[in-house]
Amino acid sequence: MSSPETITFMESAIKQATLALDALEVPVGVEFVVASCVIVEDGNVIASGRNRTTETRNATRHAEMEAIDVLLEQWQKNGLSMSEIAEKFSNCSLYVTCEPCIMCASALSILGIKEVFYGCPNDKFGGCGSILSLHLSNTMPLNNGVSPGKGFKSTGGIMAPEAILLLRTFYEQGNPNAPKPHRPLARQA
Amino acid sequence: MSNDFGTWQIVHIPDKEPHELHQQPTENVVCSVIDPKRANQIVRRLNQIAPLENHRHVKRIHKKILEGGKIQLSVILCLASEGDNQLDSLPPYIHEMISSYQLSPFIAKVCKYAATSKEEWQEQCKFWPTSYHPLTYKIDGITGFNEEDSKSVFKFMQSAIELASSDGLVVNAAVIVDPSAKQIISNARDQVFAWSTCEVDSDIDSSCIKKPGLFNSRSISTGFAPRESFHLNGSSNQLKQPFTSVSCLYPWQWAEQQSQSQSSYYCHPLRHAAIVAIESSAARDRRLFPSEGNIEERCLEFDHEKSWPSAPAKKQKTTCANVEDYDKLNSHSCTSDQPFERPYLCTGYDIYLVWEPCTMCAMALVHQRIRRIFYAFPNPNAGALGSVHRLQGEKSLNHHYAVFRVLVPEEGQHTLRKCYTEVAETEEINIC
Repeated sequence: MSSPETITFMESAIKQATLALDALEVPVGVEFVVASCVIVEDGNVIASGRNRTTETRNATRHAEMEAIDVLLEQWQKNGLSMSEIAEKFSNCSLYVTCEPCIMCASALSILGIKEVFYGCPNDKFGGCGSILSLHLSNTMPLNNGVSPGKGFKSTGGIMAPEAILLLRTFYEQGNPNAPKPHRPLARQA
Repeated sequence: MSNDFGTWQIVHIPDKEPHELHQQPTENVVCSVIDPKRANQIVRRLNQIAPLENHRHVKRIHKKILEGGKIQLSVILCLASEGDNQLDSLPPYIHEMISSYQLSPFIAKVCKYAATSKEEWQEQCKFWPTSYHPLTYKIDGITGFNEEDSKSVFKFMQSAIELASSDGLVVNAAVIVDPSAKQIISNARDQVFAWSTCEVDSDIDSSCIKKPGLFNSRSISTGFAPRESFHLNGSSNQLKQPFTSVSCLYPWQWAEQQSQSQSSYYCHPLRHAAIVAIESSAARDRRLFPSEGNIEERCLEFDHEKSWPSAPAKKQKTTCANVEDYDKLNSHSCTSDQPFERPYLCTGYDIYLVWEPCTMCAMALVHQRIRRIFYAFPNPNAGALGSVHRLQGEKSLNHHYAVFRVLVPEEGQHTLRKCYTEVAETEEINIC
């Protein structure tokens, strides 16, 4: 069962996506799943993000990457060192509407985030158990002494119906930028 | 720059991990020894009633020379069914064959998958003969490498290697290329420890260079990682040095670095070369095609993409031949008959990376729809194109690129060393 706190933060993550839908910026990249997220430290939302793949024409600008960039810039402006930033990330949790993709899950492992809560699983690109399990990085040092990836705790299925509803809203709308639409674009009635 | 790439090589990195030489997966088939005089007749009949559809690499007949020089021929009747009594559950038409030619069926093993190397093939033939066709790279519309294509691949890889060592400090480097126009779309070095937010926009200019080798590299003296010269072990093609500044090799080590003294540069643990190169190519796209693009324009592109596998180079060349620089494009003075078509993300583009990308970068390249990846050195720590993961073989992904490794021989080492020394000397002069 999800705690009330988890639900609250997931609600704020979902709200980010609805805001994007309202603004008619399809909050989705290349026929990609809807994702928006918040990053939480000590019970406070400290950053949020949503996909900006369409407007940037950069398919790597997922919600997670957007929120991470906000924090990295802010913390360095505040004069934090790299080790202090690493320490900060290790106390942060991410709440995201959809399971982070392989790229984002790797990024979260590189940063050493503490925990990830997500809504619906991502059975095409998911990096937290669906396709790869990048949250379960091994703890044994590699044979050449290289520090291996840091794992993080990952919990899915938080408010999944709401997250799926968001997805459906997107799919009904269609993505006008995809080259060969897998789904026909919604016809103007 | 040396233009002799005689001993450079392009090696395809397959979607599936090659099988251990001595552990080729096998499966059972139902066979029988046949009378050589009737071999033709029997094989013709079998190919009709029980073709080996998914086993085209397996030869139908096994020839054995017995003691005294006598030839024995065995033929595959059909694939064996699952279960224990494989000989009892044969289809009726095989039973018919068995009775009409008085065959005595037995179970034999054949290799399940086609050999990917000569060594594998020799191993496979110990079970039952198979055929072996060296890969010609005709996968997913990717044509083979003729001499001109290979030379172009080597040149772009050499550019990437020069870029990687252009600043004294060896990092990973990425060069995104439009192969149809042989044009560099964007290039980047790792920017994990030296990234200035205010340079993102001006990056677009410096990152679009017509000729390889003329890099407008920004001289950011980082100064906290030890200088490493590029050293290649020519025979095994492995690098000896740890190259600790290469982000994809050590993605988790950013936290251990000392802070940058120059306050105008930010650190960013995720700004690996491939990520930065993608960002630059997206910025270029926005700059060249500022309009959002309506659905009608999009439809034109669909048609173009459909025709792409059949007639790729010609059409592209006519559209790109006159594209000399952005000013021309922007002022619409492009004299081509066809309008310049905006590619969808990096569709049709190649990327050259000195080191095999980590999982984050490899997935970023899936998202951005890169067509082919060329890398020079494997990444045993975190590589996602065969070393630790193999994203090109993850069937669920919505896009698949082809992956190649470029083997850089000792001649390449000479060029690299010279390049490194020159960069180092220039820097020393600057310091004085």
